[in-house]
Amino acid sequence: MLRRKLIWMFILIVIVGCDLAYPEVAVVNKTNKYILLKNVSFKGCIWNTVLAYGEATSPQQCLPGEDKVHFQKFDAEEYCQEQVKDGTINGLCQCEGSEGITAPVIDAGLINVNPTWFNYQTISIKHVGYGDFKVYEITLDDIEQDFSTPGPYGH
Amino acid sequence: MGIKRSGWIIAGIALGLLIWISGPAGAEEVPAPAVPPAEGQGSGFAGVKSAEYPEGGTAAPTGKIIEKNPDVGEPSIEVEILGRKPISKDKTEDSTQVSGQKLRDSPRPSTLEALSQEAADVYVSGRGAMHGVSSGASGGIHIRGFGGSPNSQVLMVEDGVPDYQGIFGHPIPDAYVPFLIDEVLVIKGGDSVLYGTNAMGGAILIRNRWREREGYEFLDDSAFGSYSTLRESLSMLGRSGPWDTAAAFTALSTQGHRKGMDGDETIGEAAVQYRRPDYLLAIRDKLVHLDGADPGPATHPTPDHRFDVWRNNASINITKDTESVHLTAIPYINFGVHRLYDGFYSRDYVGGGKAEADWKIRRSVEALIGLATEQVEGKVKNRISDEKSPVKGSNNTSLYHQLSLWPVGPITLVLGAREFWSSKYGFAFLYKAGGRWEITDGLFLRARVARNFRQPTIRELYLPFPTANPALKPEFSRNWDFGGGWESGRLEISCMGYVSEADNLIKYFGVWPSAEVVNIDHITIPGVEASVGLKRLGPVSLFITGDWQDIGRYTRQNPDGKLDFTLEAGKDFSEHFLGGSLSGEWVHGLYMADYSRQPINDVFTMDLAFRYRYDLRERGLTLEPYLFLRNFLDRKYAYIKDYPMPGFNILIGLKMEI
Repeated sequence: MLRRKLIWMFILIVIVGCDLAYPEVAVVNKTNKYILLKNVSFKGCIWNTVLAYGEATSPQQCLPGEDKVHFQKFDAEEYCQEQVKDGTINGLCQCEGSEGITAPVIDAGLINVNPTWFNYQTISIKHVGYGDFKVYEITLDDIEQDFSTPGPYGH
Repeated sequence: MGIKRSGWIIAGIALGLLIWISGPAGAEEVPAPAVPPAEGQGSGFAGVKSAEYPEGGTAAPTGKIIEKNPDVGEPSIEVEILGRKPISKDKTEDSTQVSGQKLRDSPRPSTLEALSQEAADVYVSGRGAMHGVSSGASGGIHIRGFGGSPNSQVLMVEDGVPDYQGIFGHPIPDAYVPFLIDEVLVIKGGDSVLYGTNAMGGAILIRNRWREREGYEFLDDSAFGSYSTLRESLSMLGRSGPWDTAAAFTALSTQGHRKGMDGDETIGEAAVQYRRPDYLLAIRDKLVHLDGADPGPATHPTPDHRFDVWRNNASINITKDTESVHLTAIPYINFGVHRLYDGFYSRDYVGGGKAEADWKIRRSVEALIGLATEQVEGKVKNRISDEKSPVKGSNNTSLYHQLSLWPVGPITLVLGAREFWSSKYGFAFLYKAGGRWEITDGLFLRARVARNFRQPTIRELYLPFPTANPALKPEFSRNWDFGGGWESGRLEISCMGYVSEADNLIKYFGVWPSAEVVNIDHITIPGVEASVGLKRLGPVSLFITGDWQDIGRYTRQNPDGKLDFTLEAGKDFSEHFLGGSLSGEWVHGLYMADYSRQPINDVFTMDLAFRYRYDLRERGLTLEPYLFLRNFLDRKYAYIKDYPMPGFNILIGLKMEI
């Protein structure tokens, strides 16, 4: 009786087990404290969250194989500097001791106050296989712009 | 001396093997159905598969052919041949005929992929369990260089009704389930003369089943497999007096092998037929519901790109037979509602009808004349922004005719023309001419040329997904093919050369927001397709089909070469049957972009299928458990770049037939 149960369990595991054995992957933002990452994706997985420095995604089951880690990057420091340069943030200026100096007049049409998230990917290619658990750290020396992102329209 | 002797021995063995292979298959061979002279052709395995996998009394007679003894002075003998008319109306076309049973037994995940396994010059992309719709969808059908995405150069015709969406101009690849299919004919080289717009590269004719004996039969097929895949199909065929009924329900639910590949597919079909000796009235309706997503490239997944599609096809088929004339009238309507994740909402319909007379003027002359009309309409809006896209429908009417001649016993000639008038594009003249010579019993040569046509779709003309061009002109193709073959009891071999030419082909270039869709100049695609089949070598049969083509510069999703093979074995042990198959596909020269850019690694995958059938005759019940081991080598491959196909996966099922 037990033997028969074990056989049935084995058959069931074999049937449903293909995706249970998929590798698990988590990604950590190890860039710097001013950089946020969002929409991190790797080999069929996507994490629709924003990662501050040091934060990690939850583990997800991804497809076995190889890929780069893709994500969108927002550099808060660079954004603030741009906004200060454009004089869009009251009370902030480019350097200390410059109180009273007015920001240069810039054509309002050229000023972009919306934060821009740029598409990036890791330079290195990561490999994962069935049963693996991998934690990938995103570091500044291993990222490049990602021009492979598909366009928004299809149908 | 030793070498000489062994050479003779080898030659003797080879000669003996050749005689054995080319000889009749013996007592186990199922005789081919009786057909009039020169009927039932098609390259390779046309007809043979039907004979090899008889439908077990599911094909109902839909007509009769009356042959009279032509010799004057002898008593006239009237032979009435009851049976379905051949699905092929052109005896000279190059085609592959596949039985519904073959499709039902196939381990491939969809009907179109199962068809692709049978003919190497038919390429169908895949992405997993379901093909889906909109961006990221697979299931584009290529035949001899034409077709694909947009998949509107190959026409699907189900029970005489052209099946395509009004706005996007292509069929829904997930809408074809094999449980009611009697047989499928893949016409290579197109036939716009008989089937109208879209039959540019080919036409795929589907004929559905009816029961031919009094009584009822039920087939239940339940399967469970990897990725939490559940498939349930229930079909029923019945005959009671002059009434025939057919119904099928199929539901598929899967989590998919990756995020966004989950989905549900529900298809219901019902048909009723009233049959009298000289006329027949059939009504059929098919309802399809698809709920899924575009998973996006694995590098940049988009599992939230959901779609929800409803489609309904309804048709009425009226036929009347006199002694020499077979009349058919088919009104139909195909309508659907599509909803996409980004607010896209469309309603469309294709409605029309055709009337056709097939007239056997003399024993050696048969004429076909038909009148067809069709209206295409659609409405598109964005439900989020409430922005409406201005689209204009179109209608067309055409007169078509075909003459089949048998001037000398073994020679068949077919000439045809279609005068096509479109409300948007005016008049177009389409033609075809073909010949077939049965040199000896089983040995044949054939050649055919056909001028085919496709008018731009509403999407290509008006919808900015990714771009539109209202100035587009219709596409024209001229397809030549020629070749021969030999069919005997155990060996079938055929080889066809072809040249597919096209003018004004519609192609998309670039990506949004700078994409364009334009007519391109003349293109020529030469190719060669061959197949070899060894049947019933003991319990084993082997079928190999290969295709090579010089696709030229427009390489997007259009492979250079393809090879398919199927090795089958099966043995009956009284009421038990044990069988299995090993099948594989190799696709070479795939690119994701034109001009040989973005190459994709060659596809190579193999599937295993095992089945056991137990026939409980006293209870009228057949039980058939089966096991599919798909991609059992766990190959990592993709037809579409960054849309990886599933690794090794399993489907276990049980068929019950009452």
